[in-house]
Amino acid sequence: MHCITTIFLVAGSCSLARAQVADTAKTLKKVTIKALKKQNSFTTATPVQSLNHETLQNISAGSVADAARYFSGVLIKDYGGVGGLKTISVRSLGASHTGIIYDGIPVSDVQTGQIDLSRFSSTFVETLSLHQASIQHSLLPARIYASASALAITTNTFNPVAQKQSWQAGIKAGSFGLWQPFAGIYQPLKKNWILSCNAEAIFSKGDYPFYINNGNFSEKTNRNNSAVQTFQAEANAVKQFKDSSTLQTKIAGYVSERGLPGAVIFFNNRSAQQLWNRDVFVQSRYTKTITTTTALLLSAKYSHTYTRYTDPDFLNNQGGLDNRYKQDELYLSIAANHQLGKDFIVSAAADIAPAWLSANTSGFVKPFRFSNWNNIALNYVQGGWQVNGSLLYTHVSDKTDTGTAAAAKNKFTPTLAVSWKPRAGSPFMLRAFYKVVFRMPTFNDLYYNFIGNSLLKPEYAKQYNAGATYSQHFNTAIKQFSISADAYYNTVKDKIIAVPNQNLFVWTMLNLGTVHIKGLDITTELNGTIFTKLDWFCRIAYTWQQALDVTDPSSPSYKNNIPYTPNNAGSGLVSFSFNNWGAGYNMLFSGTRYTLGENNPYNQLDGWGTQDIFISRALNTQHFKVKIKGALNNISNQHFDVIRYYPMPGRSWSISILLNNS
Amino acid sequence: MKKNAGFLLVVTLLIVCSCKKNDSPAPVVPVVTTGVYVLSEGLFNSNNTTLTYYNFATSTATTDFFASSNGSGLGDTGNDMIIYGGKMYIVMNQSSYLEVADATTAKNIKKIDLKTATAAARQPRYAVAYKNKVLVSSYDGTVAVIDTAALTIDKFITVGANPEQMVVSGSKLYVANSGGLQPVPDSTVSVIDLSTFTEIQKIKVPLGPGSMTADDAGNIYVACIGNYTTVPPRLVKISTASNTIIKTADTAVGKMRFYNGKLYATGGYLGSSKVRALNTTDFTAASSNFVTDGTAIKLPYGITVDDLTGDVYVTDAKDYISSGEVFCFDKTGKKKFSFSVSPGLNPNTVALIRK
Repeated sequence: MHCITTIFLVAGSCSLARAQVADTAKTLKKVTIKALKKQNSFTTATPVQSLNHETLQNISAGSVADAARYFSGVLIKDYGGVGGLKTISVRSLGASHTGIIYDGIPVSDVQTGQIDLSRFSSTFVETLSLHQASIQHSLLPARIYASASALAITTNTFNPVAQKQSWQAGIKAGSFGLWQPFAGIYQPLKKNWILSCNAEAIFSKGDYPFYINNGNFSEKTNRNNSAVQTFQAEANAVKQFKDSSTLQTKIAGYVSERGLPGAVIFFNNRSAQQLWNRDVFVQSRYTKTITTTTALLLSAKYSHTYTRYTDPDFLNNQGGLDNRYKQDELYLSIAANHQLGKDFIVSAAADIAPAWLSANTSGFVKPFRFSNWNNIALNYVQGGWQVNGSLLYTHVSDKTDTGTAAAAKNKFTPTLAVSWKPRAGSPFMLRAFYKVVFRMPTFNDLYYNFIGNSLLKPEYAKQYNAGATYSQHFNTAIKQFSISADAYYNTVKDKIIAVPNQNLFVWTMLNLGTVHIKGLDITTELNGTIFTKLDWFCRIAYTWQQALDVTDPSSPSYKNNIPYTPNNAGSGLVSFSFNNWGAGYNMLFSGTRYTLGENNPYNQLDGWGTQDIFISRALNTQHFKVKIKGALNNISNQHFDVIRYYPMPGRSWSISILLNNS
Repeated sequence: MKKNAGFLLVVTLLIVCSCKKNDSPAPVVPVVTTGVYVLSEGLFNSNNTTLTYYNFATSTATTDFFASSNGSGLGDTGNDMIIYGGKMYIVMNQSSYLEVADATTAKNIKKIDLKTATAAARQPRYAVAYKNKVLVSSYDGTVAVIDTAALTIDKFITVGANPEQMVVSGSKLYVANSGGLQPVPDSTVSVIDLSTFTEIQKIKVPLGPGSMTADDAGNIYVACIGNYTTVPPRLVKISTASNTIIKTADTAVGKMRFYNGKLYATGGYLGSSKVRALNTTDFTAASSNFVTDGTAIKLPYGITVDDLTGDVYVTDAKDYISSGEVFCFDKTGKKKFSFSVSPGLNPNTVALIRK
């Protein structure tokens, strides 16, 4: 029971897991477990969407940012190219309200409050999932409850069912000078140890062609200063003890150097800005079932990030800007849950995270932040009902070397989620949730020289969601059909919005005040087998959304859409596999949106749509398997900007060869 | 499967329909007679600098006048504009060039690049005219001397760090060296001899000089912003006869213009949100608000005075991210008219044109 609970960390509640195991007790192949995961993501009390490893490879997602665009309710702010900054905003709440979870432990950046998703390659990702409100599992660190939504990245480092060694190695080559070699090994050892490591490098010139359009004037040119070189590696050790408790430890490093091409400025094409990142972190999780009804989870992480930004054109008579930042964070968490009677699970968690930031800029205040999260949750399952309630207490206090630090904050924020099935085994389910979250102003918001404002208030968000899901098994042609529709209403108070300023790395904060967001997310997944051997899978997602600024009735932006929130957006993907062949098609589209709060035709940005296709062939030799894949991205060569004046690539191709053991 | 194909078709149609903006009809370009041009700088790195023409006779504002005349826009962050000798000179800060256009049609005559040999932007800021030259200050610490006939750059004069506004007094040019991008702001005003076009002296002033104006008695006024923390803003009066400070006051001024014995001043980033008319002798104001009829200006940004009529033009940047507005007041502080420069953001310069 415990092992299965660990696998379904991001799937359903305990009782649902038990029901599914009974249905599919015949075979325990890897494939079956994956199918169960997909089923569960449509029957959770709060909306969950997930993409598995195979789908991530099929959609040619370079990083998890490219993959996350396929989720409904998601806006990825993409600044172009392989090395361009990519941040996720879910249901228009902004990147700071989305928690990024890497193998069960939150990723943090107290300086900017946003995680650049371009650094998470999808090569070794087993599952990428998006959870609204919270992850439906009773044993979680408290910090995860603090986000309005969570993007969980789960790697292939721990699979208790896989008992033999496996390795993979490959290389991907593509347009604009892309070379991406990677390799990984998974080695179970004696005494229930599993060691795994993986490494990947990315080289890209990024000099894709684009058009500068200024009225009637149009010029075709190439993106320059866009080269990227990154190297990342990870080593994991997992030990299962005799009492079936598990200890997973990971050490990971990431090094990158990239040119920042900047916004397109008419009559001034030059950019010499560069960005270096050197990150290392070590994280560990220990899970133990103390009794049959009580479980414990201990988590710890230490991360050190170094960022260097240079702009030799900055006119400060000192050879330009050369800003270096060091961020250190320690994270400790203890969580426990306990089964009370048949229907209740109660859980509690406490986390602390001290964080330090230092910089070489003169007059930097060297802020320190101590964060503490404490959560209690109650999970009730009875008949067709499931009720989850939780209360989070957050304490954040800052200290600075000089100047004024922000005042300490203590807040209680609740969550309530309810789901109902008319009868056991029914394909229908209704669900609703209510959640309050807040996010602290970041170090940049508060303390950045001259721009920071230590009086900034935290940003509050209230989320309401009501939805229905239908998930049913049919015949072989359509093995599974699932659809979910969720209507939501979010209100944001004291919203702190970031707008790209003179350079990509430094932001200007605008306090928007109050925003009302209405939306509808529809997601559907189908799969099946036709003509005996042709397996197919299809996924479609659509979001209708309206995020309006309701701060000041006398302002020209009153009841206008806030910047960069399209009313319509969606994605679709379909893939086939037949014997050793695979092929597929995927597409993304976004409706028109506005670059500024005043929605006039001058600030309107055209919608866009991209389509990709791929074809792959697997070959099995005696000793290993080879898979060759070719993909053509943006086949219609649509030129577009996600963020105005940061052009995206047109048509591009990629070829990859992957070897793994049989 | 059939269902899926149908859905995909619908979605594809949606893409096609939602992607194209409606093509608007070609704009009608009015004939320029007497009125004002307003330069709206837009936002950093948004390529949305616009030029508005307001016609006094018809009381209509034609926004994006430059783009209508030329078929393409000015570019990024227009910081200053002067009308001189039948031409208009627009200083484009981020696009880093000087736009030279016909004053009555706004049709482009020449674009003078203000970049270094390695194509790095000099980032020009302000322009002034003197005889047959137009002088442009750039953030790389230079003043470019441009011949108005040949429209080429004669030379670059090296001044202090990050120069901002300039004024001509007599036969000398005074340049405020703000040092705005330095770790510590600058505190000098460069004096340039306009017969030799060389810097002859630096006058020490309070920290962060930026805006300047000259009176008709051989004095210049410099607004110094300080360092935003420990050093407060100050206003100084310099006698050009001795090139020394003869009056200092602790007051914050954003932009200012001298007219008829008064300094019309906005408060700027750190100062009063009202426009004041200050005495040139003691820097006091008759009232805290020059506007006498209760007209509210949300964020006074630029200011200019019509020398012929004494009308005071004040631009309103609102909240920096919404369309701006321009107000015209008579010399008693009563509003004569106002107009929006929408979709232009942050109008900073008003220049009069008379045919």
